[in-house]
Amino acid sequence: MATVAVEVVYRGIYQRTLARNIVRSIVFAARKEGKIGTAFGRYGDSPERNGIPAKQFAIVADTPEELEENLAVYEAQEVDVTINVDDTMCKGIESWAWYGLEPINKLTKPGGTLIVTSRQPAEDLIQDIHQRSEPFNLSIIPSTASFSGLWVYKDDHTDMRILGALCKVCPDLVSLDSMMAALKDQGTSDVKLSSAQKAYDRTTQRPVEPGEGSTEVPFSFDLPGWKSMEEGLVIRGIEQGGGFRGGQEGYQPARNAVFKKWSTRSMRPVVNFETCIKCTLCWLQCPDTCFDVTPDGLFDANMESCCGCGVCESVCPVPNCITMVNEAEFNDNNSEWEAWQKDANSYKQWMTALVEKQQAAGERSHGFHHVGGYAEEIANSRDS
Amino acid sequence: MTSVQDLPQVRGVKNIPVEEYFTSGHRTCQGCESALVMRLMVKAAGQRTIVLGSTGCMYVANTTYYSTPWVVPWMHTQLGSSGSAATGTAAALASMMRKGKMKQEPINVIAFCGDGGGVDMGLSAISAALQHDEYNLLIICYDNESYANTDIQVSGSSPWGANSTFSPPGKVHRIMNKRWKKNTAPMLAAGHPDCKYVATTCASYGLDFTNKIRRALTIGGPTFVHCFDPCPKGWDYDPKYSHELGMLGIETGLWVLYEIVNGELVLNGPSRTIAKGIRQRKPVEEYLMRQGRFAHMTKEDIKFFQEKVDESWEKWWIPGLIPFGEKEEA
Repeated sequence: MATVAVEVVYRGIYQRTLARNIVRSIVFAARKEGKIGTAFGRYGDSPERNGIPAKQFAIVADTPEELEENLAVYEAQEVDVTINVDDTMCKGIESWAWYGLEPINKLTKPGGTLIVTSRQPAEDLIQDIHQRSEPFNLSIIPSTASFSGLWVYKDDHTDMRILGALCKVCPDLVSLDSMMAALKDQGTSDVKLSSAQKAYDRTTQRPVEPGEGSTEVPFSFDLPGWKSMEEGLVIRGIEQGGGFRGGQEGYQPARNAVFKKWSTRSMRPVVNFETCIKCTLCWLQCPDTCFDVTPDGLFDANMESCCGCGVCESVCPVPNCITMVNEAEFNDNNSEWEAWQKDANSYKQWMTALVEKQQAAGERSHGFHHVGGYAEEIANSRDS
Repeated sequence: MTSVQDLPQVRGVKNIPVEEYFTSGHRTCQGCESALVMRLMVKAAGQRTIVLGSTGCMYVANTTYYSTPWVVPWMHTQLGSSGSAATGTAAALASMMRKGKMKQEPINVIAFCGDGGGVDMGLSAISAALQHDEYNLLIICYDNESYANTDIQVSGSSPWGANSTFSPPGKVHRIMNKRWKKNTAPMLAAGHPDCKYVATTCASYGLDFTNKIRRALTIGGPTFVHCFDPCPKGWDYDPKYSHELGMLGIETGLWVLYEIVNGELVLNGPSRTIAKGIRQRKPVEEYLMRQGRFAHMTKEDIKFFQEKVDESWEKWWIPGLIPFGEKEEA
């Protein structure tokens, strides 16, 4: 072994503390074995934005020279293990400092492992993950994505479970004993250590063969070189919008073609067009200008630009007219209004099923709600 | 003084213009209320508008990496210089039109700054801009109560006791930001008696916001609008509450909605009904306990916070605006 690299793909701000706990613990554990390592966040992701996918890395080497050699590159080009702490990012990640969408497994070495926290079965996750020509392994930690904000951490042991599983799928990195010893040094409680042990005992890997997975080609753009940039760093503005879908009526804004923002979304609005009273509040209060105004005065959320904040759901005065549904339920970014226009009955059935499923699953935690809220959420998840 | 555009007051939320001049594809957080400020601001101002932005979230998140969500012309300016950029742009437009290099027409000039750029660093430049009453311009401060772009450092606008990168609560010292929020808009209104329009608003009240921008752009001369922006990143809450927390900030009496038009103060929305005694202020605890940045506060801290807000309503000369009064003669 020379060096082992691990990346943690996480949702900016919400999962920053979680990601930091993981990469730091890896380095501390490596030191227990006489190795040397470093943990760092990707430069381009800072300053982080709520929800926008970001990365942190841990690199562990036998000697300082080997470590330096790896740190000489701007960011890791290949990793042994990719850890994804929110399964909706399996659809691809668009960093705010990057052009285009990158597959979640882009840096995973051939034969490497992708660890995902998810309640979905492997087959459903693989449908989302972009296909590639080299095999890799998928390892699922059954849990709901852990979200907390900048100041209060939701301590639901997700970091422990990931570290336990990591020692199992990548024995070259560190042994479980070293990991446990390093965690103990940091003052980790026995209850938390047992979560790491359980994850180690239970984790399995499912090989993903070339050709399995989503056939979608991730959107990409040409990065402008310095010669193609305009004098004074002028950036061309966005065109003015016009009628809905190019027609005369309604309104549809033109949008930034090189940053789409949908990979920031972990929930999306599902609209009941039949109960909509056209009050305009969802459209008016959307910070992302994502609602198109249809000729009949309804509002169709554009799924390429919706980042899933949920403001539309909370300002809507009609009960259940807009419902935020887990992004994992969807396989495309198609227009809901068009589907409803095409076949109102099947749209209604589809929508009702989704809303009922979401309501049964309970609220998907999306950060801080009130003082003591995380403790309640953790207690509820233990009950279920 | 050059003429102003015809931007009538909007009657009813359904009559807010449909055209967008700040569109999708910006790199702000989920539920960013400041992005909504940008969007509604240019929506109210219309197509013939130039926007200038000092450094902050609304510069970095919107226009880095060689792409933009702006439809109208936009230019970056340095952290402390929203005031000077606005005056300079308005003066340049006037000069170009006078020399016949541009068609004579009223063009809106709006410069925005965050609380770091406006309440802290750019205050002197804003003051200078408000003195030059020959130019029509609007300076809008989107106040998310910290240097949110660079990961939440304390600004002069950060509330007492809030957690931030510069004021992390510890075991010995729980309250690390001991400064009360700066009273910016009344300071600018009182300090520039020739300024025709100073207002406070919040994008949670879309119609109030739209009409205040329009009044600021049409009244003539330099104007200032201070906007209260919930920030899901720095305040630490689920982004779907952005709208609700904006309203709670006003309903608890922490933030007062008003406009000062030609030297006359008018309270608006819930602030008006609170002042008239029609509506009770909600307890600030409802607002504080919904945000991670106040999660460390004890009952005594909340009591202190409440007393400070009560004082601003009950003891100040002009409630919520002017803290001092004349000493009564014996």
